[in-house]
Amino acid sequence: MPKLTLNGKEIEVPAGSTIIEAYKQLDEPIAHYCWHPGLSIAGVCRLCVVEIEGNPRLQIACNTQIQEGMVVNNNSEKVKTAVKWGLDFHLINHPLDCPICDQAGECELQNQYMEFGKYDPEMAEPKVKKRKVVDLGERVVLDTERCILCSRCVRFTNEVSKTNELGIFNRGDRSEVGTFEDKPLNNKYSVNTVDICPVGALTSKDFRFKQRVWYLKNKPSICTGCSTGCNVNVYYNEEGVFRVKPHYNKEVNGYWMCDEGRDIYKHINRKSRMLRGRYKQNGVWCTTQALEVAKKAGQKLSSFKGEEIAVLVTGQYTNEELNSLVDYSVNKLGSKSVFHWKNNENNWQDFDGHLIRGDKNPNTKGLQGVLQKYAVGGEWKELENQLSKFKAVVVAGPENQSVYFDIKEKIESLKSLECVVWFTAGENSNFEKLSDNSYLIPQKTSVEKNGHFTNHQGLTQKVEEVTTILPEALNLEETVSLMLGNSLDLSIRDKQEMGVLKTNYFSQERGSL
Amino acid sequence: MSIVKKPGAIANWYLPGILIGMIFTLKKMIYNLFHKDKMPTLNYPEEKYEYSPRFKGQHVLTVKKDGSIRCTACMLCATNCPAQCIKIVASEHEDPTVEKYPINYEIDVLRCVYCGFCEEACPVDAIRMGPEWQKPGANGFNFTYDIQELAYRPQLKGGIESRLDEKERHDFGI
Repeated sequence: MPKLTLNGKEIEVPAGSTIIEAYKQLDEPIAHYCWHPGLSIAGVCRLCVVEIEGNPRLQIACNTQIQEGMVVNNNSEKVKTAVKWGLDFHLINHPLDCPICDQAGECELQNQYMEFGKYDPEMAEPKVKKRKVVDLGERVVLDTERCILCSRCVRFTNEVSKTNELGIFNRGDRSEVGTFEDKPLNNKYSVNTVDICPVGALTSKDFRFKQRVWYLKNKPSICTGCSTGCNVNVYYNEEGVFRVKPHYNKEVNGYWMCDEGRDIYKHINRKSRMLRGRYKQNGVWCTTQALEVAKKAGQKLSSFKGEEIAVLVTGQYTNEELNSLVDYSVNKLGSKSVFHWKNNENNWQDFDGHLIRGDKNPNTKGLQGVLQKYAVGGEWKELENQLSKFKAVVVAGPENQSVYFDIKEKIESLKSLECVVWFTAGENSNFEKLSDNSYLIPQKTSVEKNGHFTNHQGLTQKVEEVTTILPEALNLEETVSLMLGNSLDLSIRDKQEMGVLKTNYFSQERGSL
Repeated sequence: MSIVKKPGAIANWYLPGILIGMIFTLKKMIYNLFHKDKMPTLNYPEEKYEYSPRFKGQHVLTVKKDGSIRCTACMLCATNCPAQCIKIVASEHEDPTVEKYPINYEIDVLRCVYCGFCEEACPVDAIRMGPEWQKPGANGFNFTYDIQELAYRPQLKGGIESRLDEKERHDFGI
């Protein structure tokens, strides 16, 4: 492993790596647009220039390999001047439309101007006008004026999605990114080009103008779109979740995620959720709190014998939740009839060679593990064959209903049963058709609870609570606990922690009156 | 500040003081009777005081030459607002050179503290604070002003034109 000195600090890096990788390893700031760790090296932006001792000219860090004993710095005056005027070249034809640009706030050009630039432009000529608001495809909009021709998106379609839709056309200051005729950017990974675009040239149609990015907070989570379990960052504020971006994980998804997975926030938001618990009594739907419905459901279920109850589970819940439900079924209800509801068994094993898998549940492996542990399990078909045997059914319904195409038929097939308890995060108009003694209990979605998902590789990944969208919703563990007749275990904060309540501020500060 | 009391019995005679005051009042009254135009007070509800155009009063959203709203929905005013009383919903404009515009712009004037930070933050002279200073409302009056109220209220006579025009900027090559 060669050793080198960066900005006066010694560092040891793997042989064959470049200077910019060493900078990243050291966590030192270095300006760069065209270099991306997941793509090949282009060396077109010329902003990552560094000064190497013994070398009369500045070199670009992204394309210079490390040698033993190199002494490199990027904080000398010479480098700063080079970056500053390099930035000026990038900004010659860049429009001044940060206020209406969606990238503003997370734009590398803005950041670097604030760090290195802050000059008056020396270009007297008017800016070259190019095409604006170009519809590239289903999900991406292009603004060629803002583009700085870093070619990240072109390299992405060449190397990662391997669909080659994008290219750089024309020459000189008229060169612009574009698609070939009649070939829109419609691959399954197209929004990644928006993520890697360092400026606002490529914007996502879905997120465009919804929020300014500085209003959003983000936290890491796991994508529930399929069994790959991509690591994502969820961007949210008090109004809900607005977008999902990939989060680097070498073992699972690398730097990318698919376009389908970016839609998972839609079934998380309030608009598509079941807001209150419901139960049907004497032909009338009553709306009340989720915990009350859970208690009522538990009482009703206890009036059936164990053999009369069937439990249906989907792989859309965390390991802990599934464990508690199956445990409840086997040990408390005394029913060994636990069935696995698979949504699309025909293309269960599909894989597009990159990230997208046919199994659209985040936790199928985890569910199979739980079913094995309790030595239960079966298919929906088995349930249908012996449906007359059962009087009551407990369904842990899917959180993401859009991938369960048969949900309508499945709900209708359960109409004949005496009692249906359905745990669901999303609203569905077909629930109205259920018979008397049906209980609908709103559940938390993956961004609202803590737990673990096991992906197709058998890798168990942690999900943490990101935000609260529906305060009333319960998770499966809480529901099961309520159905057993326990009260909800609200974790009240420690009294020491709540110092404000412990001592009366006024009496302490001002003495007794 | 301390009150200095003159010593002696004469200071306790209040009658001369009252008389001096009455004479002063009478003089002013007679003067005002014959010089009505020089009177410094106003008959308030009928007469209203006109502040200078620089007065930071009621918000105005400026318009372009064609009468459409100037605001680009960049949300810098809403970001800068210390009272968080501005709410904007942006949308895609048909014209690609305009690109973004507000379909809803609301100011909750009861929350507003009239600090003028929105005016300062605006990069395109789209929001100003005008000289209008009073807008009373009865019970149930809607104090959340929308675009119609902020840009096209009757007092503005068809809207106030912004100094910056998009078309001019575009032709100039900015």
